Amino acid sequence: MADGGPAPAVAVPVPVPGGGAPATILDSLGEDITRIVGPVSTCMLIVVLLVSILSSPSSPSPLTAALNTASAAGAGDDLTSALITAGTFVVCVTAATFLMALLFYFRCTPCLRAYMGFSAIWVLLALGGQICLLLLSRLRLPLDAVSFALLLPNAVAALAVAAVSPASVPIALHQAALLAIAVLTAFWFTLLPEWTTWALLVAMAVYDLGAVLIPGGPLRVLLELAMERNEEIPALIYEARPVDPRHGQNWRLWASRQPPAGDFDPTSTVEVLGTRSNSADLDPSLRQFLVPNLSSNPANAQAREVLALPETRVDIAALRVPLIQPQPDRTREDSDSHDEDGIGLGSSGAIKLGLGDFIFYSVLVGRAAMYDYMTVYACYLAIIGGLGVTLLLLAFFRKALPALPVSITLGVLFYVLTRTLLENFVMQCSTNLLMF
Amino acid sequence: MTVAAGAGYALIALGPAFSLFAGVIARKPFLVLTLLSSTLFWLVSLIVLSGIWRGFLPLKSGAWWPYVILILTSVAFQEGVRLVFWRLYKKVEEMLDAFADRIAKPRLCLTDKMLISLAGGLGHGLAHAVFFCLSLLTPAFGQATFYVERCSRMPFFLVSAIISLGFLVIHTFSMIIAFNGYGERKKSDQIFVPVIHLIAAVMTLINLAPGGCLIGTPLLCVMAALTLQYSWRMVGQRLTEHEH
Repeated sequence: MADGGPAPAVAVPVPVPGGGAPATILDSLGEDITRIVGPVSTCMLIVVLLVSILSSPSSPSPLTAALNTASAAGAGDDLTSALITAGTFVVCVTAATFLMALLFYFRCTPCLRAYMGFSAIWVLLALGGQICLLLLSRLRLPLDAVSFALLLPNAVAALAVAAVSPASVPIALHQAALLAIAVLTAFWFTLLPEWTTWALLVAMAVYDLGAVLIPGGPLRVLLELAMERNEEIPALIYEARPVDPRHGQNWRLWASRQPPAGDFDPTSTVEVLGTRSNSADLDPSLRQFLVPNLSSNPANAQAREVLALPETRVDIAALRVPLIQPQPDRTREDSDSHDEDGIGLGSSGAIKLGLGDFIFYSVLVGRAAMYDYMTVYACYLAIIGGLGVTLLLLAFFRKALPALPVSITLGVLFYVLTRTLLENFVMQCSTNLLMF
Repeated sequence: MTVAAGAGYALIALGPAFSLFAGVIARKPFLVLTLLSSTLFWLVSLIVLSGIWRGFLPLKSGAWWPYVILILTSVAFQEGVRLVFWRLYKKVEEMLDAFADRIAKPRLCLTDKMLISLAGGLGHGLAHAVFFCLSLLTPAFGQATFYVERCSRMPFFLVSAIISLGFLVIHTFSMIIAFNGYGERKKSDQIFVPVIHLIAAVMTLINLAPGGCLIGTPLLCVMAALTLQYSWRMVGQRLTEHEH
């Protein structure tokens, strides 16, 4: 029975069969959060799949075999060397971020752009190519060398262009390219020994907390520079597609925004500029750091592996830069007072998450996958819960917040709790077929 | 027993959950968030339970009475957690209603509230299925299978998948019944949910007897069907009396 005619001014929702119910707030609430949780989950899922396929003990990949022989007899994988490695990494990331802030201050746009492109191409080509080779050999896919040599550079070029200049490609491709870069980098990090990975995660979470909130921190300096010039931070940032709050539907507004003249597009599309200290050109100090380590003794094998990837490490510096951006959130106050101007403000309620956050979440989950799937599920829920808490805090405080600390803390906590407490309990109950 | 068997077991346990997700929950982002938070809630309650019981494990496999205590405490704890979840939900509902008033949109209607309770229940059921069945399925993707001594007729994975399916249905729909009972203050609904949960959990104790899983598992499915039918009747009543 349909209540028929036009409803009176008081909105009394009558459940009309056949989907004719008036649209309540439940239809579109929380959409922007889902648009971030979705890609983060996809990235974690792909990394877990890669780890499961490529890290099986039956056929160890040549890469892990090489790493294992390098740190043989457990000489490298203990707490002190892990802490040293993590500390070194954090110091390098801090230095690189300060360098990036310096370059941004001097408005070196070409070098920022060029370095962004170079690092995207390097990650996709070297890391992506290696992982493709590992997958081909592990899954025994029939693909000859010539086709591979043709396909890989083409795919890499397309993805790199999509990642670096988002204005010229569809947004889905751009987001897919960013996710590909995040997945490859995260998988690479999971190849580190166990204690090193955990120490690295905790160190990066602490660094993130300090770098954003402490007034002299590099990320905070960068953010303040960007805000006072009203420009975008130059780095790879994942931006969820904004949603128009006035309509209940998913109207893609990002295309309708007017980009101002010039290189900087402070509105929806993700920024092109990125800076990187190319270890070959701009940063001789890093190279010096690299050279003596190549001949160091096996006790420093950990450090050697990590430092053997300077671009990766510094990549992470630039990828780490953008955090959750304090866009004017799609909240009640804004839409009340700016109804006419709704499009500009409402659609800028997109949440931005730095690619480094994607990477470290996936590293945590990937490392949990190396133990068992129960830890994967627990860590996944913990990270998503931490992300939700961070987004709530973002809506509350309305300024840039670090995305890593809460999630990584919860993730590590849940990993430890699952491994020590939950697993025994669940195994005891399940093997006796007792469930509740 | 190969990827196909592993995927089959996973689908037995999670098939209805996937269809519910795709058909109902994925359409409204808020329900997805409710699902994720209720899954996290259930996981936290499970971790607390396992923390409490850590000192007493491993239990001696001969005696059955420690398992009774385990089941009783676990069910009691989870029903308590359900009450806490209800309190949280009331707070969220108030905030949502205030938000809706501010932006001059209609408040949450009955269908919305039931959808939220469905998402909450599905989160609990999903967490149960994931942690009790799915996380143990990894060997099933390999090349062999596993039989428990006390249940030598069915592979362990199949039994745990069917039990998880039963509990998924029970958790999902008893959340709807429970929220309705707490909201309307109907004693019958409020009592029904813990009782069903307890009976279903005690029924899995039958699995402790040799060959008991052949009896216990179908009985569990009967309980799931009972919950489903009760929920169907209750929702039908609420919707018809709301329309008039």
